[in-house]
Amino acid sequence: MKPAAFAYCAPRTLEEAISLLDEHGYDAKLLAGGQSLVPLMNLRLARPTVLVDINRVDGLAFVESGDEVVRIGAMTRHHTVATSSEIRGASPLLSHAAGHIGYRAIRHRGTLGGSLAHADPASELPCVAVTQSATVRVTGSAGERTIRADELFLAEMTTTLAPDEIVTSVAIPRIRPDEGWGFREFVRKVGDFAVVMAAALLRVADGRVASARLGLGGAEGTPRRVTEAEQALVGSVLGAETIEKAARVAAEAVEPTSDIHGSADYRRRLVHAMTRRALQDALGRLEAGHG
Amino acid sequence: MSYRKQPKLLGARVRRVEDPRFLMGKARYIEDIELPGMIDAAFVRSPFAHAEILSVDVSEALAVPGVIAALHGQDLSGRVKPTVCDAISDGWQSSEFPALAIDRVRYAGEAVAVIAADNRYLAEDGAALVDVDYEPLTPLASVEAAQEPTAPLLHKGWKGNYFYRDRHAGGDPDLAFSNADGVLEIELATRRHGGIPMEGRGCIAVYDPIERVLTLWSSTQIPHLIRSELANCLGLPENRVRVIAPDVGGGFGPKSHLNPEEVAACVLAMDTRRPVRWIEDRREHMLACFHSREHYHKARVAYSEEGEVLALSAEVTVDCGAYSVYPWTAALDPGMSLFIMPGPYRIRNFRCETLAVATNKCPYGAYRGVARSANCLTIERAMDAVADALGMDPVEVRKRNLIRDEEFPYTSVSGFVYDDTSLIESLDKVCAEADYEGMRERQRLAREKGRLLGIGVVTFIEQTAPAVDEGVPINFRYDSALVRLDPSGSATVQLGTHSHGQGHETTIAQIVADQLTIPLDQIRILYGDTQQTAQGIGTFASRTAVVAGGAAHIASGQVRDMLAERGAHLMEAAAEDVELVDGRVTVRGSGTRGLSVAEVARATYYHPELFPFGWSPLLEAAGTFDAGHGTYANASQIVLVEVDPETGAVEILEYHIVEDCGRMINPTIVEGQIHGGVAQGIGGAFFEELIYDEQGQLLTTSFMDYLIPGPTELPDFRISHLETPSPTSPNGIKGVGEGGAVAPYAIMAAAVQDAIRPIGNVFVNELPLTPERVLGFVDRAAGRTDREARRSG
Repeated sequence: MKPAAFAYCAPRTLEEAISLLDEHGYDAKLLAGGQSLVPLMNLRLARPTVLVDINRVDGLAFVESGDEVVRIGAMTRHHTVATSSEIRGASPLLSHAAGHIGYRAIRHRGTLGGSLAHADPASELPCVAVTQSATVRVTGSAGERTIRADELFLAEMTTTLAPDEIVTSVAIPRIRPDEGWGFREFVRKVGDFAVVMAAALLRVADGRVASARLGLGGAEGTPRRVTEAEQALVGSVLGAETIEKAARVAAEAVEPTSDIHGSADYRRRLVHAMTRRALQDALGRLEAGHG
Repeated sequence: MSYRKQPKLLGARVRRVEDPRFLMGKARYIEDIELPGMIDAAFVRSPFAHAEILSVDVSEALAVPGVIAALHGQDLSGRVKPTVCDAISDGWQSSEFPALAIDRVRYAGEAVAVIAADNRYLAEDGAALVDVDYEPLTPLASVEAAQEPTAPLLHKGWKGNYFYRDRHAGGDPDLAFSNADGVLEIELATRRHGGIPMEGRGCIAVYDPIERVLTLWSSTQIPHLIRSELANCLGLPENRVRVIAPDVGGGFGPKSHLNPEEVAACVLAMDTRRPVRWIEDRREHMLACFHSREHYHKARVAYSEEGEVLALSAEVTVDCGAYSVYPWTAALDPGMSLFIMPGPYRIRNFRCETLAVATNKCPYGAYRGVARSANCLTIERAMDAVADALGMDPVEVRKRNLIRDEEFPYTSVSGFVYDDTSLIESLDKVCAEADYEGMRERQRLAREKGRLLGIGVVTFIEQTAPAVDEGVPINFRYDSALVRLDPSGSATVQLGTHSHGQGHETTIAQIVADQLTIPLDQIRILYGDTQQTAQGIGTFASRTAVVAGGAAHIASGQVRDMLAERGAHLMEAAAEDVELVDGRVTVRGSGTRGLSVAEVARATYYHPELFPFGWSPLLEAAGTFDAGHGTYANASQIVLVEVDPETGAVEILEYHIVEDCGRMINPTIVEGQIHGGVAQGIGGAFFEELIYDEQGQLLTTSFMDYLIPGPTELPDFRISHLETPSPTSPNGIKGVGEGGAVAPYAIMAAAVQDAIRPIGNVFVNELPLTPERVLGFVDRAAGRTDREARRSG
């Protein structure tokens, strides 16, 4: 478990990093937290010939609170996402989910941008990003662009990023005080990859669901919102029955993957259970009067 | 003469003297050893489960700058003997296990070639360039596939794909079955998993051409046994082979074998005249460190209306993988099943047939609680099934069948002579500790609220420090200790065993301290170097406290007597009038302070003129202890679990343990052993599974796919002790290393079944209880078919 030979570069600026990516194309890989890339390299499943370490690039780790969104730098560590009061204030859902990532040591290394770019279907942050319609700012040799989270993920471990593009920040919409959120994931052991996770964000007005967001991770190759279940919720009176119905719709809507951690049938049942529990948590938070 | 100790250390919660170096990161494992000129080895492993090797070309690898040497099977053929580890039985078929595959590979991950280079990175670069031409053969990836009539034979000259078949019978099972009030049949399966020590395997081989000595540093539990087989394979006399086991980061059985990689490393060292290091990575460990636990049992149980089990008839099939491993043979698990299955119960009619099937999987080796966990599962699940059939409580059915106190020593139907244990007392005590009645009431109340709480109960007896007089190539009845007092009065104890987490530097010192009445810090325990110790066997099978502890007790007792004799002579007293108290030899009742151990030792070594001519000036003794057929430890356990019927998750709410390992040397260490054993048992009960696909490819080669429990998955262990001294061992000690790992399989299966009882009756018979498997049992309990279960999702 030793990596094949590679060249190591540690640029100081974003421009330098992009030009290295531009020069080496698919032979280059960005090193952010290294929590996924380094094991893959050690197993020689990933064999980049150039490793571009962006840990010394200034200005990629920050938290910026705005009125509508909180903007988080791509090199912000999971631990910060989980514990920063600014982020927690803007999206307790994101903070809570980040706390489920791996173990403490992993959370101190792993980064928000790295997690999104890696696109592991069992990762928490992509699921929340999609659920909340986060936008991802990326910079490449052609300039800067913004990608909607749901348009970032193409397939398992595959994104729409060009080889010379670097995720620089993510904008997460603020969760409003009248919104309730829930996040549930099923893991076989604490800190392990989730088999299935569900994120829910609900707003109720005049006793009825005014808006609903329900995101799933782990069930399929990419995280996604389950619009069928969201539609089933909107306009309804939120309660055990409507929640159960939405969970059932979600379970029917997914086309789950199958692996040694769970068959497709099993994942479907977990979607049902995790969705219901996430929605119940959201309802609980609405009733308790704090989103 | 007599001796007294103040305070007596046997039984005291002495802090582990070895801990500082481990806790401060100062322990010295294989990988911490640096030798001048050392090079690193990497193995080329077969990607196929079963294939002919047509050719191996290492030329490209050798062209990599920094690559120093390459070896493949043909290079060793005729030069290095393959390991042949045969059980002695009419039902045995012999086979060869070469260090590097020669013309055929029999499991995915089998070593085919090895590359040595300046460092492991370059060695892996070279290994990737070795060109092996394979002709794939039909993979036999399960016991069913291996037993198909059309299956190719795995080894030369075989009549079928099995290493070993055997049977044992006692009493008159046929008569008992025909007279029984009821007969039930059960089938059980425990899936393949392993010991997974934190430190993987590893070795450094060094050849000294001047002394003509081969030294192998190995992360092993059994340095002496490694030396014997290494010398045999390489054609060297044993006095030219030295095996050193430094600090070992967990053994658990997987490190009680000779590894083919070690033999290859030795050849590389002899060829290159440079130290050759091989440090296993986790992927290699999962693929090629010998696996365990894959048992398939069928059992018929005859019982009376009163709940008495009258007869047991069983078929045991073990998937033993591709080769018979040294020193245990492939008969290890199946052979033991023939005798241990009746467990702690008064079963007088027993029949067992056993089969060690050869398949294209990693070979099968020892793991903490060899064969016991699967056999405990079968007999305990049989007791639960009888209880269910008769509507009895599982505790009650056990009480009716457990061997009663007045029956000890008890000769089991399979011929074991169980000495004193506390079977019924331990069950009563664990029921009291767990408040079993109260727990049942809590379960009832929880069920009313729709919660699925389940209770599991297990009682077992375990032969510790066992010996096997028939059928095995090496009978490990004894172990050794050399105790040497130096002129300053401090003692060095050299053991034939090893310590890799068990704390023997503390516990054996406690025993010796009591004999010599000197402080613990004046006793140094050494082990692990065959050049420094008397012939020994090693540490496994819950044996070291008994056999090495016994040997150290005996040897240090002899040294104590020498001290007393010499002290008496110096004080001009009769030997029978002196006593050893607190490190001093004194004349009993004289009121004088006498002589210190150091004074007597110094006089003995440096003033032989003070003693009669011919008295030995050496204050040392070698001791061995033979535990006969072992000591019998026992335990009873109760768990309370909760099952989530939507996800299949199981939460352990309470885990109560009452164990009896005889006299405890150090209760803290005993409890640590139980914690570790139960943790590994919980791993096997819920998490750990080495999954092969139909092509014989291992799907679980990292900790992303093979899950082991961590602190968050383990409950608080509520342990209490009973101490029924062994009548056979000095100090009444019994073994405790493995016991914790024996019961969790059975107890968790029982508890999960009990938890889902409100949904319906189902027999939980397959482990590990992954959430998906648990949901499968929930579905069956609910009478749901697979299709309905899908729809309910």
